[in-house]
Amino acid sequence: MTSIDVRDLTKEFGPRRAVDRLTFRVLPGRVTGFLGPNGAGKSTTLRLVLGLDRPTSGTATIDGRPYATLPEPLRHVGALLDAQAPHGARTGRDHLRALAASNRIPVRRVEKVLEETGLAPAARRRVKTYSLGMRQRLGIAAALLGDPEVVLLDEPSNGLDPEGIVWIRGLLRRLAGEGRTVLVSSHLMNETASFADHLVVLGRGRLLADTPMRDFIDARVRPRVRVRTSDPAALEKALTRHGHEGVAHDDGHWTVDHARVDDIGRLASEAGVPLLELTAQEGTLEQAYLDLTAAETEFAAAPQEA
Amino acid sequence: MGFAPALHAEWIKISTLRSQAATLCAILLATVAFSLLATADTEGADTDPLFSAFLGVSFGQIAAVAFGTTAVAAEFQGGALRVSLAAVPRRGLWFAAKATAIALPVLAVGLITGLLTWAVGRAALGDRAETIGTAEGLRAAVGCGLYVTLMALLAAGLTAVLRSGAATLGILIPFLLIVSFVVGDASGSVADFLPDRAGQVALHSTWDGSLGPWTGLAVTALWTAAALAAGAWRTRRRDA
Repeated sequence: MTSIDVRDLTKEFGPRRAVDRLTFRVLPGRVTGFLGPNGAGKSTTLRLVLGLDRPTSGTATIDGRPYATLPEPLRHVGALLDAQAPHGARTGRDHLRALAASNRIPVRRVEKVLEETGLAPAARRRVKTYSLGMRQRLGIAAALLGDPEVVLLDEPSNGLDPEGIVWIRGLLRRLAGEGRTVLVSSHLMNETASFADHLVVLGRGRLLADTPMRDFIDARVRPRVRVRTSDPAALEKALTRHGHEGVAHDDGHWTVDHARVDDIGRLASEAGVPLLELTAQEGTLEQAYLDLTAAETEFAAAPQEA
Repeated sequence: MGFAPALHAEWIKISTLRSQAATLCAILLATVAFSLLATADTEGADTDPLFSAFLGVSFGQIAAVAFGTTAVAAEFQGGALRVSLAAVPRRGLWFAAKATAIALPVLAVGLITGLLTWAVGRAALGDRAETIGTAEGLRAAVGCGLYVTLMALLAAGLTAVLRSGAATLGILIPFLLIVSFVVGDASGSVADFLPDRAGQVALHSTWDGSLGPWTGLAVTALWTAAALAAGAWRTRRRDA
């Protein structure tokens, strides 16, 4: 089982600290979402893990070893950093062939990953004719080339069409299901919520959270119940009596914060309030994330003047 | 992690770009074409007939420089270097593979160019070629191959230092086309030790500077070694 261990990792670019004493562990068998606003240090951390940038201090290891000491690293770790990396005048297949040769990966793996990413029909076309989504798929194909036990993807859903987004979701789930270690950075919350089991959240280079996704949301988003009734006055009375505060909305439904359906259902029943609808509104990753990073966002939008 | 797989990968990268193949052809075509022009043109008795046969190398070397530059400069576009170094994290080894993948095809084309230039030049020179021995002609042909290879590698090293193909060509092409012509016949000075002047002694039948054909190529090789060492140092040290 292969894990990624980041310990006390710090990277300074001149006076700016892009990564600040970061410590976390990415475990196999699950998809870890790597979240943070732009400039939080996600990409820098990935480069440090891959030995491309030198840390100012601290270590990043894969299975206990620095990446640069892995023999034929593509057979252990596959990464997508930048979809613009392949040379535009080369074909997708030739790009993969060169990578495969460097790590003595058999050419049949090239054909395999081209099939797997749906690029086989375009494999002999030059990369400059590819759409952004196709370049993204080529980058993912390169990451999967060595059948690695660790997969690192930086913003993989960038530029993918809806079909591609569904595809990558399935791919990430499958890779984790096969026991691989999967780390996927993103700033798209709903997207991350659809595939991640675990979250590592950065803000200004520091670790803000390292928890299972469900716990992360439950700890930060207050539960809320949505109710519809044919007798609003009775509902309001019953809510007030039990110390809840209902908010009426224009289309006739009510919401009750800090409440669970079990409580509201019971009190409505006891008070004889006819209910047309009673649903729990689950917190979203987006709400939880915004709550967490409200104070941490480096590039908060300035309030617009009227 | 061996050298052979890294070289294989770099060779695939070079051989799958049509522009690189075209640049290799340009080394041969430019050298032979301009040599033909030069042999047809110089009727004066005081010109070195061997060098007039090999004058085209001054132009062929531009293609060699372009070849070495673009092969390295491609790594500095769109994060390509990160993909390369993630595959081959031993940077010194990677850079050596890159340099070898540049040197071998240029050397092959350069030797063919040298032999062809000599064959064509001897025919074009007619009577004037009689003063040149076969050994001398062969020496110039081999010198041509070695010289364009060294120039391609010099450009490759410089590109790795500057991390930009445009900057490298901006320095080397004016240097090769202008500085050499301006310094011109002012031989017997430090100008003899410039990388292009030193190496081109091998293309002459007579020389009056302190450098001979092989010592001249050795001086060019020192320049190239320095550029490659600086390029390797920069590749190893810098964040990718």
